[in-house]
Parts: sequence; C-alpha cells; structure tokens
Amino acid sequence: MLFIMLRWSSMLRAAALSIAIAAIPFAATPVCAQQDQSQQPAQVAPPPQAPPATPLQQPAPNQTPAVSQPPARLSPVIVINASHGGTDNGARGPNGPVEKDVVLIFARMARSEFERQGYRVVMTRNDDSNPSYEDRAAVANAYRDAIFISFHVSSTGQIGTARAYSYPVSAPIAAANQTEVPVGPTGRPISLIPWETGQQSYVQASHRLADALQSTLALRFNGSPKVSAQFAVRELRSVAAPAIAVEVSSVSTEDPNSLLVMGAPLAFSIVRTVVALRPPGSSPNASLGPTGGK
Amino acid sequence: MPRNLKITLAVLCVAVAIGLISLRGLHKRIENLSENTTSEEQERRELLKPAISTPTDVLVAAKIYWAAGPDSLAPQEVDLPLSADPATRGRQVIDTLIAKAPGPQQRTLPADAALLGFYILPDGTAVADFSDALASETPSGIESEQMAIDSIAHTLENNVPAVHRLKILIHGQEVETLAGHADLTGFFDLNPSAPAVVPAATFSSGSPVVPSRSVSESAVSKP
Repeated sequence: MLFIMLRWSSMLRAAALSIAIAAIPFAATPVCAQQDQSQQPAQVAPPPQAPPATPLQQPAPNQTPAVSQPPARLSPVIVINASHGGTDNGARGPNGPVEKDVVLIFARMARSEFERQGYRVVMTRNDDSNPSYEDRAAVANAYRDAIFISFHVSSTGQIGTARAYSYPVSAPIAAANQTEVPVGPTGRPISLIPWETGQQSYVQASHRLADALQSTLALRFNGSPKVSAQFAVRELRSVAAPAIAVEVSSVSTEDPNSLLVMGAPLAFSIVRTVVALRPPGSSPNASLGPTGGK
Repeated sequence: MPRNLKITLAVLCVAVAIGLISLRGLHKRIENLSENTTSEEQERRELLKPAISTPTDVLVAAKIYWAAGPDSLAPQEVDLPLSADPATRGRQVIDTLIAKAPGPQQRTLPADAALLGFYILPDGTAVADFSDALASETPSGIESEQMAIDSIAHTLENNVPAVHRLKILIHGQEVETLAGHADLTGFFDLNPSAPAVVPAATFSSGSPVVPSRSVSESAVSKP
C-alpha cells in the first residue's frame, strides 16, 4: 500500500513538472497569435541558452573564482540577420562582390563585437543557407527580449556610405477590426500580436534605434545621411522586437576590399549604439521597449 | 628573297593597312551600340502600344518624380495630355514615368518594365499591375527599391488626387518583395493630407527630397 502511494506521489510530481516545463514557452514568447508550425524558429538557430546570470549567481566577495569566467551573457539577445543566402545572391557587383557573402562577413564581425561586450548573440544564418523571412523573424520572436539587426549591401548609391532603416507605421486596419480583447488568468488583457504585424508594437523603438545608429554612421562614413529612413523592408515586418536593417553602399565598387574594410567600423558603430541604448543586463522598458501598439 | 615570300609579305601589308583603316570605324560603331540603350522590348512596345488618349484629355504640367541623385527624387514638370478619368490619368503618368525618363541616371524604373493594368477601387485604392521586368530588372537593394516605389507613389500622389492607397502587383499576382527587400504584400499610403477612407499614418522623412511612405496591412490576403 505504501509502495503504491509513493508511486502515485512520484507520478504526480512528474506530471506537475511536465506542466511547468510546457508552460515556459507560453510565458516567454510574446508573439503567439497566428503562429503555425511553419513559423517555428529556424533550424540554423541555436537553442535558447541558459537564463542570464543574476546577482544571486555571482560569487560571494570572499570567494575567488578558480578560473577566469567568460563574460556573462545578458539580455537583450542580439539577433543578427545576414540577408539573402543560398540561391538568393542579393545584389551582385560587376567586379565580384556578392551581397550574400559580404553581409555574412559583416554579420560575423558584428557577432564578435557584441559577444565581446557580453551580449548573447544568435545569427539567423551562419552559412550559405537561405531561411525564409518568417524563419528569420521566428528566431527573434523566440526570445522575450531581443534586438534584430539585419545587414544588406545595395547595388546603387554613393559608395562608402551606410544607412539604417526601420519599418514604418501601418494603417491600423487590423487593430480597428479587433473588438474583443482576450483576458488572462490574472484579469489583465492579453496583448496578442498578429504574426504579420509583429513589428508594429516596436515601430517607435526601432525608429529610435535606427536614428541613433544613423547619427553614428554619418560621423563614421562620409556622405551617409544624418537621419535614418523608414521603409517597408520585408524581413522586419514580423519581428516582434526592435528591428533595423543596415544597408551599405555598394556592390558596384571597383575594389571589393573597399567594401569589406567597412565591416569593422560598421560593427563597432552598431555595437556602440546598442550599448548606449540597451547596455547588457538593462531592462527592456528602459529605452527600446514595446509601445503596445501604434 | 624568293618571289612567293615577297607576294605573301605584300598581301600581309595590305591586310594590315585595311585593318588599321577599318579599326577606327569599328570603334565608332561599338560606341554607338553601347550608347543605344533602347532594348528590343522597348522598341516592340513603342510600335505595338496604342497611345492612351481620351476625349477629356487636357494638356497639363504633370509632376513626374525621377531620380535627382543617388538617393533622392525630385519632380520634373512634363506637359502631358491627361485624362479626366483618374484610372486613365494614373496609367498615363506611370507610362510617362517609365518611358520618358530624361536619362539613364534619372531612371527609377527599368526601361523594360510595362504597366499591364491600372485601376482604382471605390475606396481610393489604386492597383498597379506591372510586368515581370519591374521585379527582375530593378537593382536589388533597399535604397533602389525604395526609389522605385517612391517614384511611382509620388507621381500618382501629385497627379491623381483621387488615389489614397497603392497596391503593386507583378504580372497580376501579389508578390512578397519587389527585388528582395521592399515589402509588396501591403498597401502604400498616398495623399496623407487628403481625406481618405483608410486612416492615414504618420511617417518620417525617408530621403532628403521627398518623404518615405508608410504601408497599410493587406486586408485582403496574407501570406
């Protein structure tokens, strides 16, 4: 009899643990509306890592670490998107540079720079694959607190310049049609964000980030505009996080090396901007949080 | 020196002389060919396409937006006979935007692109259906695609006041992007200051000369 009771007790504990584990993704994923199986995080994305270190996990002052610890990976998660890839070359220059290859180099440079500052970094692709737009957005949307940065190289424009873009405000047709707001267990309304308008809650945050970056780019790359641009860049549309696209001009340069040397200062400018707005470990609502709609 | 060798040398000298003389002419012909940017598709279209004219056509100074630099647009006034019918008028100005670019540097849309259809819905939404060339020949890049779309939108905005939104189709189909970047699944808001059925959205400056535009989410279909 005692054996049966112990057995039931362990089974109940296992069931409770399973329910708790299953509930974690719903608590951590901000976008849950209209998300089907095809919109799961891309295969190329590494699984979410351990939660960021908290003050409780820091060693006590009288304890000396035996070995030097790597820097703690703090939020926000930086999602770096190297655009195009695979059969999609993007812009192709007459003297050899291909956008998909150049942006991958830029993306890797930015990743190293971000990791040096202690950020957790995820890349939407790290090889010659071509994830769909939705897969790329899903990588960012899998995290509660992320910043999405996409790299591009143009085929036109003044060579040696760079420009930051954010997604513009959409006319609130879908929002106007929504009459019933679902309520959660605590009685507070649940903010469901349709997948295809994921960026709309972050338009202002994205614009702030793009403007801040553009002012840095204007100083570093002569001829670059002083203000960012807003344009409907497709890959930003479904990202439920501050998201910007950075485009460097251009693949039409006669010397491909002149394009590649822009990578290091570009990465430095981006990291410096993000550090200024969202230092590692800062709160999402500090400067780049959602606005809860338009 | 043997006689045969002398004859061979003489023939060779004559051939070289002829080659040198004709080289200059050949060079000029190559230069002329490279300057001739009109493609076969353009020539065929110009021959076959009937001129769009209606009884209500009135000669007006239309504002057509072409490139004014590597990343900016500027209006140029072109005297055009434009129809009173908004749909026909829209078609006339977009045709002019494609066909009458002052030069290759000012061109924002590919020369081979053609407007296959243009109509306006009762709510003021203009639907512009372009040929495949618009997607396949527009230079890939956010900046170039923005210039292409903005030139269409600003040209319509300034010449067809009845239009409040723009939907771009490629060969009758909704496509995801223009050339890999610009989102074509939604609508582009036009005439934001004019009273519109669809609430207009605010937008920030996208280029030094003309502002960028916002997009409206498609209420019809989603990918």
